[in-house]
Amino acid sequence: MKSQITNRMATVLISVCAGLMALIMIALVGYIFYQGLGHVTWHFLTTVASTFQVGGGIKDQLWNSFYLLIVTMIFTTPLGIAGGIYLSEYAKPNRVTGFIRSCVEVLASLPSIVVGLFGMLVFVNTFHWGYSILSGAVALTIFNLPVIVRVTEDALRSVPVALKEASFGLGVGQWYTIKNVLLPAAFPGILTGIILSAGRVFGESAALLFTAGLTSPDLDFKNWSPFAFDSPLNPLRSAETLSVHIYSVNTVAIVKDAPQVAAASAAVLALFVLIFNLSARGLGAWIQKRMSGKS
Amino acid sequence: MIGVQEKKIIELPQRDLGKETIVQVDNLSVYYGDFQAVKQVSLPIEKNTITALIGPSGCGKSTFLRALNRMNDTIPSARSEGSIRYDGVPLLDAAIDVSALRKEMGMVFQKPNPFPKSIYENIVHGLRYHGIRKKSQLKTLVQESLEQAALWDEVSDRLDASALSLSGGQQQRLCIARTLALKPQVILFDEPTSALDPISTAKIEKLMLELKEHYTLIVVTHNMQQAARIADNTAFFYQGELVEYNATQELFNQPTEKRTAEYINGQFS
Ligand SMILES: Nc1ncnc2c1ncn2[C@@H]1O[C@H](COP(=O)(O)OP(=O)(O)OP(=O)(O)O)[C@@H](O)[C@H]1O
Ligand SMILES: [Mg+2]
Repeated sequence: MKSQITNRMATVLISVCAGLMALIMIALVGYIFYQGLGHVTWHFLTTVASTFQVGGGIKDQLWNSFYLLIVTMIFTTPLGIAGGIYLSEYAKPNRVTGFIRSCVEVLASLPSIVVGLFGMLVFVNTFHWGYSILSGAVALTIFNLPVIVRVTEDALRSVPVALKEASFGLGVGQWYTIKNVLLPAAFPGILTGIILSAGRVFGESAALLFTAGLTSPDLDFKNWSPFAFDSPLNPLRSAETLSVHIYSVNTVAIVKDAPQVAAASAAVLALFVLIFNLSARGLGAWIQKRMSGKS
Repeated sequence: MIGVQEKKIIELPQRDLGKETIVQVDNLSVYYGDFQAVKQVSLPIEKNTITALIGPSGCGKSTFLRALNRMNDTIPSARSEGSIRYDGVPLLDAAIDVSALRKEMGMVFQKPNPFPKSIYENIVHGLRYHGIRKKSQLKTLVQESLEQAALWDEVSDRLDASALSLSGGQQQRLCIARTLALKPQVILFDEPTSALDPISTAKIEKLMLELKEHYTLIVVTHNMQQAARIADNTAFFYQGELVEYNATQELFNQPTEKRTAEYINGQFS
């Protein structure tokens, strides 16, 4: 009888906590959307920001955010997956491996502003890359790499040992087993992790303040040569992203509609992060279902 | 090296001597770290027979079986000592190509473990790795092995369906087919029917009796009736030691060791 009451109470407590979390989430997102979405128009999304006049948009910032995201993911995905494979399948359980794993963990918990300052000292100043897409992307790589390494390692480890043994039992080698059995089985988990981390990268600002910079040149969307200084593709130009824009509009902007611009930018940012998260869940579940073949 | 060690080969009854020995185990010990799971076991395995390994849980049957195809290599703490000769080749030698060895000595596990892929892909996975790439050849081998595993009639029209859509018994026969496709000499079974219902079990036992014609089978089983039904020879393990090894009939009817008698009479398990 007593255990039943305890059980009931625990269930209620857990439900209340979960409900509270959902409520906070909905309130937060709801508030951001309520404040900002009204100002989000096609015009807002496709007009460049304005320093003095009312009516500026976020066209370049939006582009920069996506461009930086793509460059960062091109750096981090192969590296992170390789690292995760190494840690889960090849590394022997010894001190060196333990040290590497601690490094990954420390890196993962580093405050992003520290990563940003490090990026400024090393990439911007020492390497003379300046405030640029490249500096920003490498800083974000430092910020994101440990996440992907861990996601990959966890996903590989959660593949049932029985599958690995089945493959080894057929005399199949380790790499072939990883490539054809383990990675496909871990794929939904890895993909979900990558998309979730993409959301984090997309919204990151502190690591970019001193690496990708607070400004960007007026981009010429007709000039796609990566070498032109105002080309959208130039990796060595500075690039203010959407989240950095929110920060700078809130702190240094002098335009009259700064609050609206900030709120609308925040709404757009939140919307994209939400899309990343929802698609990660949806895609993961869909692939899982297709792979188990029971659909 | 073998000459120096004291030989503890258990002689088999006279009438079995006609069969040739395919695997000869001598003084095999297997350790997990400091713990010795298999203690100085010696026994010959006869070609084209079914050998059953019985004994209480934790007595080292699986460890012994997995030492034969070097599956224990995948466990960092595991270590084998002694000698295993397969057709005269010393299997514990560091120079042995384990991949080729496992192709020769296939393995079927306790829980059916098909890959989460199509039936076809399950069978060609090993074949492709071992260098067979031609589509026509793969197709033939898939059909042959499924026929041998008595599964072809049930799945011939849906080779592209997921292996996970099969029943447990069918999955286990798929795992057997996958092993057979590599044309092994010896097949190691670790409690292959313990996760299956009686009808599926009967099918697999029947299949094993058929396979005996062409292959040598070694089967770990908890089920003594099963050992009595299918095995030619039976080895009784207890706490890592081989207590008794004999023709199945003899072992069950006139065990020479007290512990064997107690075990088969169900006095402990
Ligand atoms: N990976 C491992 N690491 C350490 N000890 C192990 C490992 N695998 C098995 N053992 C130990 O070795 C002994 C023999 O185990 P094994 O799995 O060979 O027994 P078994 O006879 O197959 O038992 P069961 O009938 O339950 O399958 C047991 O005491 C077990 O705890
Ligand atoms: Mg076992």
